[in-house]
Amino acid sequence: MSRISRKLQKWTQEVLDLPQDLLFDLPRLTLVGNKELHIENHRGVRHFSGERLVLSLSEGSLEISGTGLAIQAIQSHEVTIIGTIHHIQYIGMGEKP
Amino acid sequence: MKIPTMIHLRGYLTLTVRGEHVEAFINSLAKAGIPVWDVTPTGAHSAELKLLLKDFRRLRPLLKRTGCRTRIKERNGYPFRARRLLKRKAFVIGVVMFFAILLALSSMVWNVEVEGNATIASEDVLDAAKQEGLYPFQWIFKLQSMDKLSGNITARLPGASWVGVERNGTRIRIQIVEASMPEKPPLQNPRHLISTRDAVITYIYAEKGVPKVAINSRVKKGDILISGVLGDEENSERIVAKGEVKGLVWHEYDIEIPLVTTHKVYTGEGKKRSYVVFGDRAVQLWGYGKIPFSQQETLTFYDPLTWRSRSLPLGWMTEKIMEVTEVQRSITEEEAKKEGIEGARRDILAKYGANSKFISQKILHDKRENGKVYMKVLFEVEETIAKELPIVYDQGE
Repeated sequence: MSRISRKLQKWTQEVLDLPQDLLFDLPRLTLVGNKELHIENHRGVRHFSGERLVLSLSEGSLEISGTGLAIQAIQSHEVTIIGTIHHIQYIGMGEKP
Repeated sequence: MKIPTMIHLRGYLTLTVRGEHVEAFINSLAKAGIPVWDVTPTGAHSAELKLLLKDFRRLRPLLKRTGCRTRIKERNGYPFRARRLLKRKAFVIGVVMFFAILLALSSMVWNVEVEGNATIASEDVLDAAKQEGLYPFQWIFKLQSMDKLSGNITARLPGASWVGVERNGTRIRIQIVEASMPEKPPLQNPRHLISTRDAVITYIYAEKGVPKVAINSRVKKGDILISGVLGDEENSERIVAKGEVKGLVWHEYDIEIPLVTTHKVYTGEGKKRSYVVFGDRAVQLWGYGKIPFSQQETLTFYDPLTWRSRSLPLGWMTEKIMEVTEVQRSITEEEAKKEGIEGARRDILAKYGANSKFISQKILHDKRENGKVYMKVLFEVEETIAKELPIVYDQGE
């Protein structure tokens, strides 16, 4: 994305008060207690085990650690993870918008 | 959460995936839009997942690309259960037989009902229906159309003016409207009309038969008035004689009328007794005491308990004891005579027919004796004198 288009996007987002995930391809996480996590806008599974699950995002990746993790359902842009979730950590996601 | 709908009906598999790149396989599944659910890791390089049966074939290229292997762990859902059941031959045969028998039994006429017939026997109607191929245990698809059936059955039943055939499932109803037939006259023997008593003919009308007497002729009791034999002696035919003959007849009446009559009259005073009846025994409940009347009449009413028009041997009886007094009524001689003649006239009308006509009356003599009036009266009456006499076939010729 060029600098101008990014600025334009940011401007429209501010003016129209649009949610960021629509414009910037940011992941939207819905966490239900520590039992269920629904993630939109992921880019695939990078690592998958019962204790650690790494999802790649449009930028960087998301690491979820816990016990007894399982993917309840997966689609190309959405994934629902169940199990006991301890940590959710972003890796390699710069501050630049 | 996003598990496909009706997974049990569509059938689903539980797979174990092994390989170096299980994650890549899962990603490619998601890319290809193959819905999987309940993905759980079972080891470092293996995972378990569930997917629909119809998507299983689409896995192969993905497996090849990612270098994974699968093993089917469980088969769930209706398609697998159906296949397992189909392997059991007796069961399948049973199912097929069940439906076959059900179909066969429901495409059969089970009963034929006849309705609306009063004079035509139901058996005759069923017979006619049978000849048209309509009887119990006949196949419904073998029947003719209902319109045709009703037409044909009508043609077979002469006493029916309309027949309706109606099918309701396995039940056939035949409705009949009977033709109204003219009433048949009762059969009669050939007969003569003869005179019932000595008379002078005043009127004769022969509807059928040969009149043997003319007006103003005298006839004796038993004379043939209208003959039932036609033709001469060689060629004769016996018929039922019919007609009307009237004649003048004389009746003599001895009449006696008392001048004083006594009547019993209720005074209105009364007493009531009530009983309970068991079988043929009655126990008095009310109405004890002496009867203060010099003359009385007792009326008894018995009211048994009934159950559905059957009377039980248990009931209630009441007796009404009514006081009566005697009242005497006296009449004059003239009134007595008038009364006597009236009574005689009523008697004649009752005995010899209401269309009898009084031509004249004559008091032959009268006397008064012992408080009574004695009279002898002669009435001249025109009345019907014909009577039927059957013609005996062989009169001793």
